[in-house]
Amino acid sequence: MQEGSKKLYVELGDLARFVEDAMRTISEVGKPLLSGNSELPQASAHLVDLNKMTEEGTLEVMRLTEMLQDNRSLAVKELAGIVETLEAVDCLGLARRVQKIGLDLGQDDKHLTEIMTALSFQDLVAQRVKKLVTILDDVHGKLMELVVVFGIQQNGDSPADPGKASEMLKQLEATKTSSMKQTVANDILAQFGFK
Amino acid sequence: MPADPNMKILVVDDMATMRRIVKNILKQLGFSNTDEAENGQEALQKLRADTFDFVVSDWNMPVMTGIDMLRAIRADEKLKAIPVLMVTAEAQQANLVEAIQAGASNYIVKPFTAEVMQQKLGKIFK
Repeated sequence: MQEGSKKLYVELGDLARFVEDAMRTISEVGKPLLSGNSELPQASAHLVDLNKMTEEGTLEVMRLTEMLQDNRSLAVKELAGIVETLEAVDCLGLARRVQKIGLDLGQDDKHLTEIMTALSFQDLVAQRVKKLVTILDDVHGKLMELVVVFGIQQNGDSPADPGKASEMLKQLEATKTSSMKQTVANDILAQFGFK
Repeated sequence: MPADPNMKILVVDDMATMRRIVKNILKQLGFSNTDEAENGQEALQKLRADTFDFVVSDWNMPVMTGIDMLRAIRADEKLKAIPVLMVTAEAQQANLVEAIQAGASNYIVKPFTAEVMQQKLGKIFK
């Protein structure tokens, strides 16, 4: 019986050492990841800016395209009026030429509509960028959890207070449905030695 | 019944660029009486406050999605007869089936052309 207890004790010791080694390995692996993690919120901000810039650019192209459409539409109406007048005074040759100009302008209008519809790329790009931001926020959140759970220390200092770690995990949980607030992220990183 | 050029159309999309594109295409097709909403919830408010003959809506929107708005329209005695055209980047068969089951009048996949919009309008208002 005593022999069995001793064997169990040794095995428990081996298991504890294995867990300790595993924790240390995870901490070591986590360090380079975490140095990149501090850049993640900035990466998300860049992507959001990218969306804003493409939207502003697209809206400006749309504004100019619509101006061209309106001007062409007025010109086509004017030309139709001129054709009627020319036909009334029997200037049929000139009327056909003016009519041809009107038809060409009408064809351009089709191209302008095609430019407008081609600009829908911005919406598709924006949707994908939003998905990327969501993924980045998720990765950021998971890495922050790693910091808290394993007490990864960048400078080899002692791990943060376990009570504080538990509080931080709660804060992380609360931000899961939205983007993590930068202040929460900074607070957690500072607690674990990341400046 | 062919589409009335004076019919009032509500364009629903969270992206300002897409709302403008859809309105522009509708204008080119002869429909200038349009209004817009940024999400399903705002659209429902406008639909209940005014009279609309047709809705063109995006699927993925914050606050209320297009498919939820569509279900709310079909569940509302006063609004349920309004034709709703879903415009979406979701091109999976499951999405199409879901839209049809929810009562969509037709379905356009982004990106689309003015010709496609005209064709769909022709089918809805034949």
